[in-house]
Amino acid sequence: MNVGTAHSEVNPNTRVMNSRGMWLSYILGIGLLHVILLSIPFASVPVVWTLTNLIHNLCMYLLLHTVKGTPFETPDQGKARLLTHWEQMDYGVQFTASRKFLTITPIVLVHICSAITRPVLVFEEESSPKRSSRGIRDIWGGTRTRRNVAKERQDGCVCFGFAGSSMSFMTAALPGTAAR
Amino acid sequence: EFWDTEFSSESILKSTMNDFICGQYNRPFLESFEETPMLVAVLTYMGYGILTIFGYLRDFLRHWKIERCHIAREKEEQRDFVPLYQDFENFYTRNLYMRIRDNWNRPICSVPGAKVDLMERTSRDYNWTFEYTGRVVLDVINLGSYNYLGFAENTGPCADSAAEITMKYGVGVASTRQEIGNLDRHEELEKLVAKFLGVESAMVFGMGFATNSMNIPALTGKGCLILSDELNHASLVLGARLSGSTIRVFKHNNMQSLEKLLRDAIVHGQPRTHRPWKKILIVVEGIYSMEGSIVRLPEVIDLKKRYRAYLYLDEAHSIGALGSRGRGVVDYFGLDPCDVDVLMGTFTKSFGAAGGYIAGKWELIEYLRSHSHSAVYATSMSPPVVEQIITSMKCIMGEDGTTIGCDRVRKLAENTVYFRRRLREMGFIIYGNEDSPVVPMMLYMPAKIGAFGREMLKRNIGVVVVGFPATPIIESRARFCISAAHTKEMLDRALSVISEVGDLLQLKYSRRRIQPSLSLPCDDIVFEDIDD
Repeated sequence: MNVGTAHSEVNPNTRVMNSRGMWLSYILGIGLLHVILLSIPFASVPVVWTLTNLIHNLCMYLLLHTVKGTPFETPDQGKARLLTHWEQMDYGVQFTASRKFLTITPIVLVHICSAITRPVLVFEEESSPKRSSRGIRDIWGGTRTRRNVAKERQDGCVCFGFAGSSMSFMTAALPGTAAR
Repeated sequence: EFWDTEFSSESILKSTMNDFICGQYNRPFLESFEETPMLVAVLTYMGYGILTIFGYLRDFLRHWKIERCHIAREKEEQRDFVPLYQDFENFYTRNLYMRIRDNWNRPICSVPGAKVDLMERTSRDYNWTFEYTGRVVLDVINLGSYNYLGFAENTGPCADSAAEITMKYGVGVASTRQEIGNLDRHEELEKLVAKFLGVESAMVFGMGFATNSMNIPALTGKGCLILSDELNHASLVLGARLSGSTIRVFKHNNMQSLEKLLRDAIVHGQPRTHRPWKKILIVVEGIYSMEGSIVRLPEVIDLKKRYRAYLYLDEAHSIGALGSRGRGVVDYFGLDPCDVDVLMGTFTKSFGAAGGYIAGKWELIEYLRSHSHSAVYATSMSPPVVEQIITSMKCIMGEDGTTIGCDRVRKLAENTVYFRRRLREMGFIIYGNEDSPVVPMMLYMPAKIGAFGREMLKRNIGVVVVGFPATPIIESRARFCISAAHTKEMLDRALSVISEVGDLLQLKYSRRRIQPSLSLPCDDIVFEDIDD
């Protein structure tokens, strides 16, 4: 067993995300995770979506940004030993198709998740005494008044998920850390 | 038959387009690399995913001493030393490779001809250690040895002459070519090789891998450019890296990609200084052993002449196996061997010996005699091996007075066409050119790699299987090497067994969607490891 016997690719890890069917398998994997979580009897749909988002972000963070090196010995004397999989992809070239896809997917996922946990509220035309308690208007059109405090817990979950997905986005955007 | 005619007429149409383009193909060039079915790709990733999860689980169990650990560890006293290897670097070996390790390194105990004897071995701890039962599995049909013309035999004129020479010269040479290891048999062999290939002069070396890795550094250096194919062998890659030249990789057999690289190189020159390159060397192989594809030699020579580059052709698998007279890929296309600057090949595959040669102009070979590492520092070829090559080469050329060589070359071509046609009809996905004796059959899934190897051995057929990371992640394959020594009965038996195992493991993936061949303009960029 030797890396690169059939091809002169020094580090096959760089090409894995570009292979045929990888993106589809990734989406199907998220779908499978979602279906497994849906089968938990006491979880409601918004909670399941939030859990999907969280577990997906955690797994992607561990696999792409924490584990370093390659699971096999490469013939280039270990140039990639200190690089995470995200840094190894396409030999460090930024903004390739796979990187864009992997950046966009968690963002799309968190938007779907939020749309299901906190559907957009219609802004109600109230009389002036109630206007003072308007509070902060967030980007999905709802307002955070005392009525909506009960939904704070779900807000928190959504915010966690968003933070997790934006980590991969920032890693891509900061040129220093990613390009090596 | 309908599919066959449609497929062949489509490819003949493409190759007549080629004819129009370069006017040098005198026969249809039929190559196909059918695309992976999407469902199979998804299942393959799922397979690797499950194996990875179980790998992590087993590592966890081994770490907490719940499961016994068979891996070599440092001793108790060395616990605080820097570890010998990173745990993660060994992940693939201990969790995936070890599971199916019994398909490789099988000890054989007879000459690797058309049939071979294997030593039977079992393992009680899941392939961590092997025990020999003492029995020998006799007459296993050998579909894995590079024995294209059937010269791997221990009887016959080649073996007799080799034995005779051993009585006269002994087995070892005890010196390098440059010192006192230059036998008269070496000189005769070199003249014979030059005559065989139709060039001025040739030089032989003791080891095929070392021929590439030690001679490319002698030909190019810093300030030169090497354009090498994506799927070149490890020896060519090593030689290119050792030379210190800039290496640029073009897509496999893709002439548009090669032309683009040539034009960019000539227009822009060296990376920072923009000085012109000292030399541009195009490195290609005759037959690529893992894909079974044949290089588009007429187009490469056309490009080489147009852009004034040099060509290094590695005919390791194609010498003796292609061409109407067995003279390799140059003979197959009917081209002039003087067009190729450096002809390289090995004697391991078609001549039943070991070693390699480099052939070309007289000045080149004289230069290599004093500047090649292999000539100056490595021991020269052993006399019985030299004699084996001389006898087999004379046989192929017909100089020994018989037609055995000619018959074998023709038999190999017939066997190849027959085997490939039958496998394709059965519905397997086969890569490569219709005329190449190397037949890679796709398996795709990691579990099927092990299963195929074992099932074939149970039915007395020995095959070679290859998986990730030696191949790309979804393209694991079994590679058959057809030989002129295989009789039609052997091939029929092998084909029926392959069909049976293919039904058992559901390997018949082909949907007759032949991918249009690689003569598409390259519009996607290849990301490569740039280190200047």
